[in-house]
Amino acid sequence: MLKIEDLTFRYKKNGKNVLDGVSLELKAGEIGIVLGRNGSGKTTLFSNLLGINKPLSGKMLFQGEDLGAMSPQKRAEIIAYVPQHIHFGQLSVFDAVLMSRVSSFGTRAGKEDMDIVEEILSEMGLEEYADRNAEELSGGEKQKIAIARAMAQRPDLLVLDEPTGNLDLANEQLIISEAKKLSAAKGISILSSLHDLNQAMDMGDRFFLMKDGKIKYTGGTEVFTPEIIKDIFDVDVHIVEVDGKKIILAGKEFG
Amino acid sequence: MNSKIQKKNSRKKWIIAGIAVAVVVMAIVCIFIGSSNMTLAEGFQALFGKGTDAAVRIIQNIRIPRVLAAIIAGAGLSSSGLIMQTNLNNSMASPSTLGVSNAAVFGANLSIIVFSGGFLSTGNNPQNMAAGANPFATSLMAFIFSVASILLILGLCKVRTFSPGVVVLAGIAIGAIWTAATTILQFYATDVGLSAAVIWNFGDLGRATYKTDLIMLVVVVIGIVYFQLMAWKYNAILAGDAAAKSVGVNVERLRFISLLLASIITAVCVSFLGVIGFVGIICPHIAKRILGAQHSYSLPATALLGSLLLLAADTLSRSIGSGSALPVGAITSLIGAPFFVAIIFSKKEGSAC
Repeated sequence: MLKIEDLTFRYKKNGKNVLDGVSLELKAGEIGIVLGRNGSGKTTLFSNLLGINKPLSGKMLFQGEDLGAMSPQKRAEIIAYVPQHIHFGQLSVFDAVLMSRVSSFGTRAGKEDMDIVEEILSEMGLEEYADRNAEELSGGEKQKIAIARAMAQRPDLLVLDEPTGNLDLANEQLIISEAKKLSAAKGISILSSLHDLNQAMDMGDRFFLMKDGKIKYTGGTEVFTPEIIKDIFDVDVHIVEVDGKKIILAGKEFG
Repeated sequence: MNSKIQKKNSRKKWIIAGIAVAVVVMAIVCIFIGSSNMTLAEGFQALFGKGTDAAVRIIQNIRIPRVLAAIIAGAGLSSSGLIMQTNLNNSMASPSTLGVSNAAVFGANLSIIVFSGGFLSTGNNPQNMAAGANPFATSLMAFIFSVASILLILGLCKVRTFSPGVVVLAGIAIGAIWTAATTILQFYATDVGLSAAVIWNFGDLGRATYKTDLIMLVVVVIGIVYFQLMAWKYNAILAGDAAAKSVGVNVERLRFISLLLASIITAVCVSFLGVIGFVGIICPHIAKRILGAQHSYSLPATALLGSLLLLAADTLSRSIGSGSALPVGAITSLIGAPFFVAIIFSKKEGSAC
């Protein structure tokens, strides 16, 4: 469904390629997790996919359609984004979510748009927050609202950049289960970056391990071996299995 | 839930309507209050061309253009302020963040000091016409320099990067150049030229004529209609550039057009009326405070509050200055600044402006 072929990008004309021939494929309804060290190109990959930056070369196809040639409005109906840093600019939760439908309603939100927002807020258990100032909520609530905002676009693909970045353990679990639930219920695909490898295995179906602007390894949970993790993160790990579930232990004492 | 939201929204509409009524009331008050000892009845008659010639002239040729100027410029400057704040992601941005006022002041000073030895560009001043000076010359110079300044900054930013921080810094730098150039001009000016130049710098609604009001009206209306149509896109920009782009907003183009329009509105108002500070900073904040950040509501409220504040400041400036009006620009800051400070300090922790 999503097919990225040999994507390259750099911020400065004569600078180093931040994306250096990235290729990946994600099927409909699948959850793909992009992993890699800081600066490996994860956020840049997302920003190219979303049209925030324009790739230097390569192809991005969604159901065979060229994303690069699409109007920003059309693209917004297919892909929605939850950035790493979330802002709502003092809008109420309702307006903050409604905002994401701007490409479909243009200048004035109609009843249909309001209904969609209402439906999503109630699905995600956020209706009681509707008239609160979104900026004044807790980190976990904000993250949920940002996901609701993205879902209001009725996308086929949801892109999450470090969705559990600043959250406590309970909220991390909440966001991951929320994302899995949405993907399963609506059949949408998710492409997310994460730092925690155990969280990644818990959430994802397919994994893309990035290093130096390239995706070096792709696959299911079998891709996580001590050698590959050493190559990507330069960390020695120990992998144990508990009840058939892989757990990665990092740190000197496990190396 | 939806009904709760609808209720809140309709309350916001009523508040906006209330401010609009206040503007109308204030405008009427403004027409009938002044330094001439005219009774209310005389003033009312003069409005319809009856009564003494002097009364008719005062009401129709001086006060009405003045009141219209306050309404138009107030709405224009404050809307520009809100657009600047949103698009530059900076709660301290003002209509002249791109150095527009500084450039206008330089242009006007150049015209006054270098080219005509101290005439003022008041269309109301027929002596200047008789002396062969074009009343629009100074305004035109002010406008040319402000537009040049806008294009310079936006052009520079377009070539390199168009991030809000860069635009603000470029505006400060270019503004400083205009101010320095103005200082040098004033240093070499004659006493008459210098005093005329300094007086021009004070904002004064008394310079307005029907003609200048009409020009301001056209520019301000075009700007406000555009801003209102883009209200939801500005709401998207509040979420940050990446989020706004991801919902399909062409952020660079919107920001460019918005800053250009806001600056042109400012340039026109400043060129005709002189520098009127603070309206453009405080009104957006008051509007956001009362109605929230959603631009469909904060934009009209900001415009109306701008009109209201400028009308009030002008009425005050004409009432306390015995004989001649005090500069309205000083009054807007004088009554606006304490109010502004009160608002900032009454804000809850963590809620940025």
